[in-house]
Amino acid sequence: MRKKALVVDDNANNLMLEKDLLEVAGFEVFEAENASDGIAMARREKPDIIIMDVRLPDMRGTEAAMILRQDKETRDIPIVFVTSSVMAEGRAEIDDITNTGFISKPINTRTFAKEISQFIK
Amino acid sequence: MCFNHHFLTGDLMKEDNKTKKQLVDELTELRSQDAAPKKSITGSISAELAAEESRRYAESIVETVREPLLVLDADLKIISANRNFYGTFKVTPGETIGTFIYDLGNKQWDIPKLRELLEEVLPKKEAFDDFEVAHNFQDIGQKIMLLNAREIYRKDIGAKMILLAIEDITERREIENGLEKTRKELEATKISEDAAREYAESLINTIREPLIALDQDLRVVTASRSFYEVFNVKPEETVGQLIYDLGNKQWDIPKLRELLETILPQKTTFDNYEVEHDFATIGRRIMLLNARQIERVLGKERIILLAIEDITERREIENGLEKAHEELKELATELKRTARVKSEFLANMSHELRTPLNSINGFSEVLYDETFGPLNKKQKIYVNNVLSSGKHLLLLINQILDMAKVESGKMTLALSSLPMKSLLNEISLLVADMVSKKKLQLLLEIAEDLPNIEADELNVKQIIYNLLSNAVKFTPEGGKIGMRAKKADSEIEIVIWDRGVGIAPENMEKIFEGFFRVDTPYSRVTEGTGLGLPLSKKLVELHGGKLSVESAGLNKGASVRFTLPIVSSKVV
Repeated sequence: MRKKALVVDDNANNLMLEKDLLEVAGFEVFEAENASDGIAMARREKPDIIIMDVRLPDMRGTEAAMILRQDKETRDIPIVFVTSSVMAEGRAEIDDITNTGFISKPINTRTFAKEISQFIK
Repeated sequence: MCFNHHFLTGDLMKEDNKTKKQLVDELTELRSQDAAPKKSITGSISAELAAEESRRYAESIVETVREPLLVLDADLKIISANRNFYGTFKVTPGETIGTFIYDLGNKQWDIPKLRELLEEVLPKKEAFDDFEVAHNFQDIGQKIMLLNAREIYRKDIGAKMILLAIEDITERREIENGLEKTRKELEATKISEDAAREYAESLINTIREPLIALDQDLRVVTASRSFYEVFNVKPEETVGQLIYDLGNKQWDIPKLRELLETILPQKTTFDNYEVEHDFATIGRRIMLLNARQIERVLGKERIILLAIEDITERREIENGLEKAHEELKELATELKRTARVKSEFLANMSHELRTPLNSINGFSEVLYDETFGPLNKKQKIYVNNVLSSGKHLLLLINQILDMAKVESGKMTLALSSLPMKSLLNEISLLVADMVSKKKLQLLLEIAEDLPNIEADELNVKQIIYNLLSNAVKFTPEGGKIGMRAKKADSEIEIVIWDRGVGIAPENMEKIFEGFFRVDTPYSRVTEGTGLGLPLSKKLVELHGGKLSVESAGLNKGASVRFTLPIVSSKVV
């Protein structure tokens, strides 16, 4: 069975690039452009991994992650944050959430899918 | 022995009950005993018994009087002493009776004045009164004693006896001395009224602060020189005037009226009342008023001393300082805000610039990799140009951001122990492609004992990579570049050199300015940001090291020398 990946990003280009790269690598990809859609999608599809932008239009990616961690249906899904921020400030709040990873933008298209796969148990 | 002792005690107890008058009488009788034997002692009683009785009698008197008393024989040995003697001079009967007086209490009593009295004065006069002797006793300290003595010839035993009364007047003398001192002080202050007034006036005139004395009707009795100077009034128009009438009624100040007429009568004093008043002659003044109401000893008159400090200038300075302080605070707040805004701006800029670059680089990379289908040759070259330009732009953004972070103090070092030998080799491999493309020779001289250093790994890698790639860029094909690393005291020293285009002396300053690139045929074919060297210098300095560049001139090659401390002094 194909692994399910959920990509949450408000930038349509990023969303398309990440979706294409993951599909090429054999993932079934679901998309969301904001945190609340992403949370609803995660509850419905129960993906094997969630790739999430740190800055989303309706809330911060970390806030969305906290919500997912409180729901026992989605509590154990690994979340990989993709961010173009180079400031260290965001890193601590990500480290505080269990079972999360971090990939900085711009992504390396040649290794992206492999990096994501490593976060799935 | 025991019986005798008991008998003696009982006898003494009986004697204790005698009145003082009786005792005095008896003592007088005793003193005159030799000259006129007591009537009661008649021939029917034997001489021996009489002697015994008189001895006991004397003993009991000696024992009863309040003042320390000694009875000495002709050889100045102590026959008896009373309780008060033992008590006052802290000696025991055992070490006293039969002892030569001077030997008493470890020879403490060997007092020259006492010797003089006993050996020279007494034999001539048979008595002395109120001789004052001061002596510092080992055990009881300095004592002042009043000595009274009588030499008595006892016919019955045919020998001389000396009765020595020693009054301890130490305390009394101390009190007397204290009284004397007080009396003298009082005398010294007892100066005539004229002198006192003169004294007060000279005091008033000496002090810098304007001062006026008012009588109970608030008329000026006297004013200080400084008062006339500060408030620009003359003595003749001041003394005798009601204070409010001074200087054409300029002093009719409501607040002053309140102080003098309401507050002072109740409290007799007030301190540091601030009064602001606009004087016609001298303009607006801020004054600090202090007043004392003095009741005169003679009569019911009162005198008011009013000190008027002109604090106008001081207050102006204070206000100026206050204002400057406020402005500084605002400036500091503004600076903090600006720094925060700048930091937020940099974070936002980084995010905003990188997001489209993510698309540019990502899509062109996927295209170039032909993931979704093949490209023709031209398309491949074009998309590669897009990709390399995007990567160059990304490098620029990153370096500008790093420069800004270092300059604003936002760059935090993630310190760890770096194995420098392997790290240098690792980075030289990163430039290996560039080196072989240009057919360069890379010489590595890394000291065997090169220690690990405490530094930020990403920063150190960036510094060395920047400098090595500069060496590659600015060296013509087939040339030589190299890296030397060694330990130097508490630092490591790394030199990256090349045999390339070198740096003209006039450009030595400019190379650290940013975006400056040595204009040579080689620099055009290479891609660089012009920020590598300035950023490397800043990063080295951030670690507590130094970076310098040497070049013998154009086309003579260049070498960059930098140090990094082995143990970082930076707090993470």
